[in-house]
Amino acid sequence: MADINVDVRKETCPVPLVEMRKALRKALPGDRVIITGTHAASKKEIPMAADALSVKIVSIEESGDEWVIILQK
Amino acid sequence: MEKSIYLDNSAATKLDKRVFDEMKSYYFDNYAVATSDFGYSKGIEAKEALENARSVIAHRLGASSQEFIFTSGSTESSNLAIKGVVKALGDKKGKHIIVSKIEDYPVLHSAKALEKEGFTIDYLDVDEYGLVNTDKLAELITEKTILVSIQHGNQEIGTLQDIVKIGEICRNKNVIFHTDATHTFTRIPIDVKTVPVDIITVSAHTIHGPKGIGGLYIRKGTEIKKITDGGYQEFDYRAGIENIPGAVGFAKAVELSTDDESIRLRDMRDKIIELVLSRIPDVCLNGHPQRRIPQNANITFHYVEGESVTLHMDMYGISVSTGSACFSKSLEASHVIAAIGGNHERAHGSIRLTFGRFNTMAEIYETVDTIEKVVAQLRLISPLGHKEV
Repeated sequence: MADINVDVRKETCPVPLVEMRKALRKALPGDRVIITGTHAASKKEIPMAADALSVKIVSIEESGDEWVIILQK
Repeated sequence: MEKSIYLDNSAATKLDKRVFDEMKSYYFDNYAVATSDFGYSKGIEAKEALENARSVIAHRLGASSQEFIFTSGSTESSNLAIKGVVKALGDKKGKHIIVSKIEDYPVLHSAKALEKEGFTIDYLDVDEYGLVNTDKLAELITEKTILVSIQHGNQEIGTLQDIVKIGEICRNKNVIFHTDATHTFTRIPIDVKTVPVDIITVSAHTIHGPKGIGGLYIRKGTEIKKITDGGYQEFDYRAGIENIPGAVGFAKAVELSTDDESIRLRDMRDKIIELVLSRIPDVCLNGHPQRRIPQNANITFHYVEGESVTLHMDMYGISVSTGSACFSKSLEASHVIAAIGGNHERAHGSIRLTFGRFNTMAEIYETVDTIEKVVAQLRLISPLGHKEV
């Protein structure tokens, strides 16, 4: 099991979603994808996409302008 | 197996297995180069296969075999059409060319390249549906005009131009007329005996044929010169060893692409347009409502980004495309939507759905259900202002 970090701070739609998809394609079953971003719409959009892909949402945390979403494949 | 609905058939189609079966022996059994009657038997057989393929495709256009050459695809075909006419007539007649504003890149970028070399290019406006103004075209033609290049069917919004009328204008003014028929060949009949067009770009990749093979119809007597140096293949219009498996596959793809199939594609197109427009609020159809190619629906979903819709549809296993170039990070909106008067938001919310042989009506219903869900979800989080769903 590995952690794949995706830093999409300062990026806007649809870049965070594109990067999330890239990371998930590389991830093996059980790997975690940790996405750090700042774009508000992406914070809502990524869980939507995870749901469509049947990927587990481990946590969604926000601190100031930044958010961190952890997914598990 | 995961669900997969492919609705990007104007970008590329799935190769029909029957096409591949025809091609195989020219890779593994008879892989010779086409040779004259003075060569070895394998080469003669290869030559016969090439000429049979040429005959099938030329026949579909109402042309003679001597008027059709094979190329590597639409891009090469349109480059040869435009730059070949320039080479033949640029120094003899004039340096003026007319293209429409919504041409695909092979034509548009060829025109822009020639502009840098000192040619004068008129980029003809289109109306809100993407139709060129033929009166304006007639006005723009001068004695220095060597070529008019206006596509048959548009790659993004599907609008069909009146190539008969455009051809008549060009013929009356003694100007060569080229049309890019990449998205119409075999889907909409073209008979060069009745349509006054001089050069036509076609390709196999949009009709379930192989990638890397296309062609160019060149009416007998048209002034055009080759733009690549090498051998004397393809009636000395196109140097290089012929792609015989590709040519054989292209011909088979043409044979398999029937009028009945075009009707089937049209029915799927009309159904998806009907369902999306009736079920999803704040949408608009791009392109002409009737004068459009049978396999294309292009719809703008207001208040969402087309790229986001595309990505979310992909996560449900449905492949659609967007007309805008956001992925290139240029943030440049589609030149086609811009030309029909669409603003940035309309361009970026546009989705192109293009149908092919292997799609089913059940897939159309499933696609609409998914689009409805995705667009509703995206509108809830949209930064573009609209919150009601």
